Amino acid sequence: MIVLNNIESRFKTGFNKGPFGTSVVQYDARGDVVGRHDVELGDSTATAEVRLDAEGGGGGFATVAGARIFSDQYVTLSDGNAYTATHGRHEFIERYPRIVRVLLGLTGALAAAAGRTLPLFVKDQYLYLGAGFRSHLLVMNLSNVTNRIRVVVTGENVAGIERIVKLRPMGSSLLDVSQLGLASAEATTVVRARLEANAWFNLYVVGAGREDLAGLLSFMHVK
Amino acid sequence: MSSDRAALLSATFWEAGYQHLIETVHQRDALAHRHLDALQVAVYDPEGTTLGEKTIDPRKEVLDLSALVEEIAGAVPRAMVTLDARYDERVFPYRPHHYALLHRHGSETPPLYYAVNAVLGGVPDRIGATNINNFETYMFRRRSFAARYSLLLGNLARFAAAEAQVATYYGGQRVLVEAMLAPKSHCEIDLPSERTGLPLERVEVKALFRLASYVVGRRADTGDLVLFDHLFTYIK
Repeated sequence: MIVLNNIESRFKTGFNKGPFGTSVVQYDARGDVVGRHDVELGDSTATAEVRLDAEGGGGGFATVAGARIFSDQYVTLSDGNAYTATHGRHEFIERYPRIVRVLLGLTGALAAAAGRTLPLFVKDQYLYLGAGFRSHLLVMNLSNVTNRIRVVVTGENVAGIERIVKLRPMGSSLLDVSQLGLASAEATTVVRARLEANAWFNLYVVGAGREDLAGLLSFMHVK
Repeated sequence: MSSDRAALLSATFWEAGYQHLIETVHQRDALAHRHLDALQVAVYDPEGTTLGEKTIDPRKEVLDLSALVEEIAGAVPRAMVTLDARYDERVFPYRPHHYALLHRHGSETPPLYYAVNAVLGGVPDRIGATNINNFETYMFRRRSFAARYSLLLGNLARFAAAEAQVATYYGGQRVLVEAMLAPKSHCEIDLPSERTGLPLERVEVKALFRLASYVVGRRADTGDLVLFDHLFTYIK
């Protein structure tokens, strides 16, 4: 569920009168649009809850756009009894012109053949694997080109584990820490993941409990 | 500590029974070029008494907060923990927030990952914030859940007491609670999830200066944390 609001507008002189139109576009893991929701917020303290349904497995993301709505839309996951929440962040979608898309496609394919990518954007993120819990990563391609993301995981007693994740435009993928071959011991293992990509991307940390992805999840945006 | 470095004063709340791991630098690179220059951790009880302090090796990547609190403060049920960091702006052109992972031992609920609240106050000659940041808001789902909500507040000032006004909203009803916080003291304020049949919609915190603040949600059945998040300031 997304909890839409524009409470920030309360403090913007000249822009604090509603209604505020907002548009939510939901993308599936392949980057296809699977839902659109247009919502009007009556005033600066109004909220609206938009349910994001998913068919099948895999992840996805949604964008929220509206006049003078910048950030801090709440995102919640619930098992019916309680909910976990985080907030979206002010993002942008990188839209490359055609010639750049072609060049990135060619060079990206060549680099991928060698197990590499064009490291135009790089992020580092810790991953956790403990007794009965772990943290996964939802990796989102925030661009209109195919994004090849090289993931390198290192840590104590962890030889460099490498993956290339290929994401379609606006596509996403859940990087399952359980699939990286790390041993889940009683003591919590913390490893470093370095992600290199040929186009703009971002991450959400997805927390999983004892039931892993079948149970209640938490998540958190990262900067 | 040196005053020719940028400063970041952050705070979190620790309680017994949780694994609580703090990343000293969030976007730590593999070659460790990005690291703090200095980091000092202090632990305070609810009355603001210093329970212990420790200088941390700034090259340490992840702090086990539970072990640290036990080491420097002994057995306490809850404490406010401040992280007083110095960093080089040439290395971090942005504010290098600490992030943290929080999970109750033996719990089936997922871990929570959160940004440690960057309060900044307490070191006036090094405060980087130029805008008012002491009016904060948090919003809730508009239906009742089997969860208990509360607000954790801490005053990081060295000498000044702070009065915090905490307003909760239920439909058109506004309920005001005031809390007086001595320097380094902290408290937990309950936020009832319902009032006269109306669900809690939002909470606002106003104070004379910036406080450490988190909205907390616990499952009603197990008490496990499901929400541990900073509030939002919009006056920018």
